[in-house]
Amino acid sequence: MTTGVEFLPCIVAFCCVHSAYQAADAAGRMRIPYPENIIVVHIPCAGRVDTLHILRAFENGADGVVILACHEGACHHILGNIMAKERVERANALLREIGVDGRRVEMQTCAPNDGSRFARVCHELEEKIKELGPSPLRKHA
Amino acid sequence: MDEVKIGVFICNCGDTISKSVDLLDIRARLEKLADVALVSIGHDLCSPQAQQAIRKDIIDNGINRVVIAACSPQLYGDALANLVEKAGLNRHLLSVANIREQCSWVHPDKDKATKKAMVQIRMAVDKVRLQDVVEQAEVEVYKDVLVIGGGIVGMEVAIELSNLNLRTTLIEKEANLGGRLKQFAALYPLQVTPEEMLTSRLKQVTGSENIDVLTSAGLKDLSGEVGNFTAKIRKGNKEISRNFGAIILATGYETLFLDKVYGFELGNNIITQSQLEGMLKSPGEIKKIPQSVGFVFDICDEHSRISTLSTLRNALVIKERFGSEVYVLCRNLQVDGAGLEKLYQDVRNKGVIFFKFERFPKILRENGKINIQVEDLSMAREQVMLSCNLLVVEEKVVPHQDFATLESMLNIGLGPRDFYQEDNVHLYPTSSTKSGIFFAGNCHQDLDLGRALTDASNAASEAYQLISSGKMRVEVERVVVDPDKCALCLTCLRFCPHDAIRIDYEKKAAHILDLACQGCGICAAVCPAKAIKFKDWSDDQILAELEVV
Repeated sequence: MTTGVEFLPCIVAFCCVHSAYQAADAAGRMRIPYPENIIVVHIPCAGRVDTLHILRAFENGADGVVILACHEGACHHILGNIMAKERVERANALLREIGVDGRRVEMQTCAPNDGSRFARVCHELEEKIKELGPSPLRKHA
Repeated sequence: MDEVKIGVFICNCGDTISKSVDLLDIRARLEKLADVALVSIGHDLCSPQAQQAIRKDIIDNGINRVVIAACSPQLYGDALANLVEKAGLNRHLLSVANIREQCSWVHPDKDKATKKAMVQIRMAVDKVRLQDVVEQAEVEVYKDVLVIGGGIVGMEVAIELSNLNLRTTLIEKEANLGGRLKQFAALYPLQVTPEEMLTSRLKQVTGSENIDVLTSAGLKDLSGEVGNFTAKIRKGNKEISRNFGAIILATGYETLFLDKVYGFELGNNIITQSQLEGMLKSPGEIKKIPQSVGFVFDICDEHSRISTLSTLRNALVIKERFGSEVYVLCRNLQVDGAGLEKLYQDVRNKGVIFFKFERFPKILRENGKINIQVEDLSMAREQVMLSCNLLVVEEKVVPHQDFATLESMLNIGLGPRDFYQEDNVHLYPTSSTKSGIFFAGNCHQDLDLGRALTDASNAASEAYQLISSGKMRVEVERVVVDPDKCALCLTCLRFCPHDAIRIDYEKKAAHILDLACQGCGICAAVCPAKAIKFKDWSDDQILAELEVV
């Protein structure tokens, strides 16, 4: 950015309580640092996340949104992660329609004991969003 | 509604939180938030003294919503909910902000960690402000268990349950108990014979007062939900109706010969594993002892435990009984489990020769003999010609064919390897996706006998835990449908993974069964009319949490 101030992206991570939320706890127990600007939203299953929630996060000024669900075939509620994937695709299409880069929203999977993967996903996501720059929907952009 | 008074209790966790989060700063900022009546910082909120103090604070200050900022709710979530309940509030009026695992332990920079902790606590405050009360109730459940399948696993389940003093109905579609084990010639690596094993189990099953055996019987219809299933069982021309608290499926497996995979048909000295087992079981059927026998496996299914084991077992039986030449051809041979490596060594020491191939061997039938051309990997990729009188081929292991009828009756499905789909294979390996229905043995996994029996005990103890007290605690109306908004489009009914939604014809709306609901919230997300409210994670709550962004 031209101002010289480092751009700190704001990222919302919807974390399924059966996998990614526990993975985030595991990362904590292993003391693996990851960016502070990841906001973890605790959800009972990735299938609970509606397109509305993803879009509202952007409306409120998030630069990126990720749904962190169980690996495919390991969802506690069978199809929660598959539905989340569909919602992410839908949100992606809607964002592109209004001229926002669809890469700002993504779906990732994670095992409950895989703290290092959780931290890695956070780092990669931050890198990606930093490249994309601040969201054009930011209230104070 | 009364005035909302939120109490925020922050834990310093023996200084591991306060080391990287400025709690005093957070307290000052929290006190300015709307509806926050009390902010207190405590030492080790998990300790009984601290909990006593929280309880006192809640009562003295008339707090009616609680936020606890401490470790992960995965650790003390239930204990903290109990604490809130003891203070006279509903246990759902609590939100836990995870400022230890997900903040102080991973963010060493104090300013940034404090900022994040503030965000997390604000989210919890915003969430708990909109939280609805969810009452709990105790429901009476039946203490009877239905076991479907009278094979060795089904019998083991019934015995375990009867030892735990639960009444069990064991139904078997054939005229006799015993299932597949009756066909086995030996049970290597176990030192017992199949007959000994079956006799001992049969004695226990028939000798137990708690077990009611119905042979030549099948499940005809099932209704109800966990704790209160009503099963219609057909036995001959009669139909018996009984109530059960839980159901355990031990329907076992079947094998299929896949001629498309092999490219040839059976017959003329080519037989399947199950045909071979039949021959070994009734020696009268073997007219001429084969001079040499070949086994092929690892074709239909990579590393199938069942076919690997039956190959090793039957190769050893043939070697011991007839002394024939035995060749085993496979892509790769893997054994896991107690005693199996030794079994493999024993088989080799007896003189069975193993060939490992990459490309499927050429199999030619000539003058009643079978010639096999195989490129052996362990012998410098040389082409080896084998000749044998009998070739035994592997079959694909699939769940029992009754699956199709059970699937629709019980509302359960198949997983990626065509076995019954468990809930979470790691966390709840014997539970089905539907509460109160469990799997045992080979109907849901490819298991050797030892593992299948362990699995039977696991399933029995899961069922015991669920219904043994005769009562179940249930969250009443945790997920509710607004009948005015519901258009009966049945979207929720189709998507519910736990078969927990029914139609209430009086109200003309969908209705959620509290006992069967496992709280995923999928119905609330798919409902096009937004008629479904999940009280712990309502749309309003999630959107309020997102306001902090």
